[in-house]
Amino acid sequence: MQLALEELDGGVTKVILDGRMDIVGAESVDLKMNVVAGSKKFVLLDMQKVSFIGSMGLRSLFSVARTIKSRGGKIVLFGPDELVEKVLKTSGLDSLVPIHHEFQTAIAALQ
Amino acid sequence: MKLQEGPACDMTVDRANADGKEALTLRSQMSELTRIRPWIEHLAKRDAIPEETQFAINLCLEEALSNIMRHGYEGAPNREIAVRYSMPQTGVFVFIIDDQALPFNPVTALEPPIPVSLDDTSVGGQGLRLLKHFADTLKYEVAPGGNRLSISFRATSGMKP
Repeated sequence: MQLALEELDGGVTKVILDGRMDIVGAESVDLKMNVVAGSKKFVLLDMQKVSFIGSMGLRSLFSVARTIKSRGGKIVLFGPDELVEKVLKTSGLDSLVPIHHEFQTAIAALQ
Repeated sequence: MKLQEGPACDMTVDRANADGKEALTLRSQMSELTRIRPWIEHLAKRDAIPEETQFAINLCLEEALSNIMRHGYEGAPNREIAVRYSMPQTGVFVFIIDDQALPFNPVTALEPPIPVSLDDTSVGGQGLRLLKHFADTLKYEVAPGGNRLSISFRATSGMKP
C-alpha cells in the first residue's frame, strides 16, 4: 500500500492512499498515517484508489481521525468505492467522519 | 483419487480434488494472510465468483483467520488453521475453517457497539461485525480439539443493504 501527500490551498493536506488496506497494507502505512495525524490539521483522505479495507484499516482511519480531531483539526474521507464505503458504513465510521464524493464539497467541509 | 486437470494452480493451493474442493493450510502468523487473496483469485477464475463476492470472501476470511491467530492461538506463531472450499451449487461458495484453539463461537459472540464517538474503545473491534454483515451464513460447530466455522456466500454477497 502506498501513501502520498499533496498540499492544497487553504492549509489542506490531501493524503492519497493507494492499494489494499488489509492487515498487511494497513500496517505498511501505519507510521506515515501517524505522522500525518500528528502534524496536519485539515486532511482530505483520498480513498479513490483503495480497493479493499478490513478492520485493521478501519482501526487506522479511526486512530488518525481521533488524533486530528483532538488537535482541533478536521478530516474528511473522499471518494471510496462502493464496497469500501459499505465497510466504512457497517463500522459506523461514516457517522463520525464525513464521506464525500464531490471534491469541492469535501474541501468545503474542511473550511 | 485423480487430480483435476486444468491450468496451473497457484502454489498456495494444497490440493485440488476432482469434485472441485480445495484446501489451504495456514500457519498462525499474520504474514500468512497474504496467501488468501491469490487463492481466492484462483478460485474466482475457475468458479466465476463475482468481484463483489470476492471482496466479501477476502474480508470475512481475513477477519475470521486473524481473530483465530490473535485470540484463539493468542499469538502463538506455528499453529495450523485449515480452510476448505467448495461450491455446493452454482453461485454458492462455502469456506470451512478448522482450528485447534480454545472454543470460541463467533456466531453467538456479542459484537461491540457501533462507536458513537472517536474515543469509544469499540472503534478497534469491528472485525466480528464485518464478518457477520458480509457473510451470507455463518455456522459454528465445536470440532474435535478445536472449532469449525463454516462461512457461505452467494453470488451477491457484499452488496447487502
